[in-house]
Amino acid sequence: MREIYLSGYNNFVLPFMLGMLFVLTWCIVGAVRIILQLPHQDRKAFFLSLVNPKIMARNIRDWFCDCLFHVKLWKRNKMLGYMHSSIAFGWFMIIVIGHIEVFLYTPERVHQIWYPIFFRYFVAVTDSTMKGSFFFFLMDFFLLMILSGIILAIIKRVRSRMFGMRRTTRASITDLIGLYSLWSIFPLRLLAEGFTADISGGSFLTKSLNWVLHSFLSDQMNMLPTWWAYSIALGVFMCILPFSRYMHIPAEILLIPLRNAGIHVSHARKGFAKLQVYSCPGCGVCIDACPMGTVKSNIKDTTVYLNRQIKRYNEKRIEEISDKCLLCGKCTAVCPVGVEGDKMRIAQRSIRKYNISPDYSNIDINQGNLSKNIFVSTSNNVVSKNKNERVIYFAGCMTALTPSISKSMTQILEKCGIDYSFMDKDGGICCGRPMWMAGRFDQAKQMIEKNTEIITKSGADILLLSCPICYKIFKERYRLEGIEILHHTEYIERLVKEGILTLEKSGSSYVFHDPCELGRGCGIYDQPRKVISGLGNLVEASQNGKESICCGGSLGSLTLGFDKRKTMTENALHNLTIADPDVIVTACPLCRSTFNRYSDRPVKDIAEIVEEQYRKRVNI
Amino acid sequence: MNVFGFKISPSSAIDMDKVDRARFEELCRVEPDAVRCMACGSCSATCPASAFSGMSIRKVLLMLQRGKEKDAFRMMRNCMLCGKCTMVCPRGINTRHLILSICRIYDDKEGKQ
Amino acid sequence: MKEIIVIIGGGIAGLEAASQLLKLGYSPIIVEKSDHLGGHVSRWNKLFPDMTPAQDLLSELIMSSKDANIFLNTAISSMNRLKDSYNIMLSNGISIITKYILITTGFRLFDASKKEEYGYGVYDQVITNADLEHWFNNGNDGRIDNSQMNAIGFVHCVGSRDEKARNTQCSKVCCITAIKQAIELKERFPDAQIYCFYMDLRLFGKKFEDFYIKAQKDFGIHFIRGRVSEVSENIEGKVIVKAEDTLAGKPIKVTLDLLVLMSGMVCNPDSTRTAGMMALPIDSDGFLKSSDNVFHITSSPKQGIYYAGACTGPKTVPETLAEARSAVLEIHSHIIGKE
Repeated sequence: MREIYLSGYNNFVLPFMLGMLFVLTWCIVGAVRIILQLPHQDRKAFFLSLVNPKIMARNIRDWFCDCLFHVKLWKRNKMLGYMHSSIAFGWFMIIVIGHIEVFLYTPERVHQIWYPIFFRYFVAVTDSTMKGSFFFFLMDFFLLMILSGIILAIIKRVRSRMFGMRRTTRASITDLIGLYSLWSIFPLRLLAEGFTADISGGSFLTKSLNWVLHSFLSDQMNMLPTWWAYSIALGVFMCILPFSRYMHIPAEILLIPLRNAGIHVSHARKGFAKLQVYSCPGCGVCIDACPMGTVKSNIKDTTVYLNRQIKRYNEKRIEEISDKCLLCGKCTAVCPVGVEGDKMRIAQRSIRKYNISPDYSNIDINQGNLSKNIFVSTSNNVVSKNKNERVIYFAGCMTALTPSISKSMTQILEKCGIDYSFMDKDGGICCGRPMWMAGRFDQAKQMIEKNTEIITKSGADILLLSCPICYKIFKERYRLEGIEILHHTEYIERLVKEGILTLEKSGSSYVFHDPCELGRGCGIYDQPRKVISGLGNLVEASQNGKESICCGGSLGSLTLGFDKRKTMTENALHNLTIADPDVIVTACPLCRSTFNRYSDRPVKDIAEIVEEQYRKRVNI
Repeated sequence: MNVFGFKISPSSAIDMDKVDRARFEELCRVEPDAVRCMACGSCSATCPASAFSGMSIRKVLLMLQRGKEKDAFRMMRNCMLCGKCTMVCPRGINTRHLILSICRIYDDKEGKQ
Repeated sequence: MKEIIVIIGGGIAGLEAASQLLKLGYSPIIVEKSDHLGGHVSRWNKLFPDMTPAQDLLSELIMSSKDANIFLNTAISSMNRLKDSYNIMLSNGISIITKYILITTGFRLFDASKKEEYGYGVYDQVITNADLEHWFNNGNDGRIDNSQMNAIGFVHCVGSRDEKARNTQCSKVCCITAIKQAIELKERFPDAQIYCFYMDLRLFGKKFEDFYIKAQKDFGIHFIRGRVSEVSENIEGKVIVKAEDTLAGKPIKVTLDLLVLMSGMVCNPDSTRTAGMMALPIDSDGFLKSSDNVFHITSSPKQGIYYAGACTGPKTVPETLAEARSAVLEIHSHIIGKE
């Protein structure tokens, strides 16, 4: 080993140093600001999480899996996964090995930040020893890995379908500058190291390139411009980074521990929300996922564009994008970094100013039928009464418009001999979720209070819900001590498991549509499938479970008119009927009526098919 | 209030000459479907808030067009934004957004004067 | 040689057209998908405004068109255009070459179960206008309990004037049909209270208004202006209907023993299918599009293809018959003009 230059410095490191200092300052200031913007409790939770070994272990796992290996992208598409992880992991390894080399060969240079980056220019290491050739090989290997990733990235620009993406994001100017500087960094590094390889040493890639170059460029001085170019590319990339989508690289490093500390979006633009905006890599996976994408003009209303507009403070567009969204949560489910598109939009809605604010203090829950819950023991001869729990059934506003669901559900309860009370038979107070989705939290909280009072007063053990929209807010925001909250899919599955309700297989085939709020919203995927499997042949939709497609009827969207939703429903129906089922089964009154409008085959709620089959059997 | 009185209350009559249409027009720009209401009453019948504050988006729309804004705001007091009215409207009016737009464009305080 | 004219659909429009064509000396061929002639009218009991038995009209029509060539249980398999005529393949294997086609495919009743909030198919007390006519005809419907009939409701505009039901058009005949059926029910159950929930009463035809006055004055039928938005069931198995009485400006609720849904007229998918074979245009309401809605209602944009009856939009019986005659005359003048 020998150092070629005693000073260990050359002017070409300046562009790199400038960029490095700039980006470091930016990121540190940004991180501090974001942490300061967090609400007090969240900040405390964050600091506590950093000393919690379990959470730290999860952080480290996530840093590696998400930032470097892009595991989620691998699962989506192998090519896409390889492209991203080869660049991220390869670059990471080059930096790490560069530092190891500095530590091993020139430990006194550690404080010179540029040293590991331009190591080959300053230090010549022999490649004849085992140690030397090992590092040379590794460096070349990872450089090759990155270059292969970059070639794929270039192909992806023209043929995104090869990577499982139908549509990709339209890059902004800064994104393009970032993109081209990023693409040029590694070929330039290869060139620079290739020129230097006869002095500094190299391995299969750099050495071979050196031979080729020297066959027609013998002048040693050629190498300096390439090192300059390499440094400039790095400098440009780092200077443009905060203004481009590549900001996601540093932002995600902070996002992961914050998310693992259990922090949620609490302000539309500050703290965690801001971090999410900057963590958006602009990959555009959410564009294909968005159910509104069936109408081409809606593509600009996907989460990736919301984040871009928030960065640009384009208030008009932010409002349009956040109000149009169906809040189905699919973009959140597929996002490789975990940007919560639905929650971000609700947060944007929450900062809106209204001159008229509803208020429910005048509603007296003791008046009328609101809280007259009488549990009737409906034990009959068909099934012996063997449960002594009391069920309060809250069908919800939407179920009032699809009486087939509530009728089937009450029939099931009666047949099973369960003590129940139909809380909102004569109307009730809304659960608050639609108001919450509109971002008017104070109003929603008032409704939550009223309903909590009614339900607690009733003395029930189980709160049974038919509407996933209600179910989500009851699960998330209601404090109902001692009362179990169940959606009817869960309850039916439990009745079957306990042997109170028996199912019999018929010859029909069913497909289950996962309602957004039940599936992605509350994680209920298996229970309905178990019940349906007991009734007939369960087939699956093309995209299901976490990736099920919103029916288009969602209350989440504030501005999408009725006529604008048709194509979305038709697209969702197409997805469901891929395996040509006899019946489409869902578990949401809104999905049921939306699909029923356009479907060519029967659309039924899970409660209906269970009840129908039961009735048929008893009649025989 | 004198129920049996014969005093003519000036506020009970609608005077179309004095109605200020500016804000309703502003509302229509945001939600052009507002004028498509055919007064079938589906929304009012299904509304859970109608039991509490007499909410009826049909009447709110009418009152706003007739310059009776105070009456409209009183009804809207208990709107829960549940969306049932949007579901049942045969004309496909996006009533939820309409209600939110009314809450932004109109001002309750001015109405109280 | 007698000119052959193919009539697609053996409802009243098709039958009337066939009988007129026979009189003019042509040779009509009726292609009917079902096993009987008369279409919707064959299942109806009485016709407004004179309470004519539907059977009387139908037997007369069938009588006068009996010399036509009639194919029952037959559908159109394919159709294609030759130089100046059409080649029609029937499902029974017969193929016909003709210069003139009259489409009289009519309408389809809106499927009331698509309006989920009304509970058709869910509650036993909810029936449709067609179910009621059927019951008038044969008195056999498990859902209608003769001993228990204290209150009956009619819901107008079910699946009509309704974007949610994907039909924005007015079905024209439901207002008068509801009044007719209300009167008929009142005659059978004089003690029952009968309510009609309407959005607008559109009584445009001859003597329709008299019918309305009669319903009010002689039969005491209650007219409530408001569209029903929810139907629920109480413990005794009666249905509770919720609407807004828009004239009173108050929500209204009534408990009923029977609820009749006035299913509207929607386009017949068979019309759409037939139109698809010949690339005939479909109007925004889903019905077939005439070449002009004022002057040429019975003409299609394609030469030799004519329309009559409810395939171009909701029509009353007299309108349908008149259109059938008018279409025949058009065909006739076209043939004469060529000679």
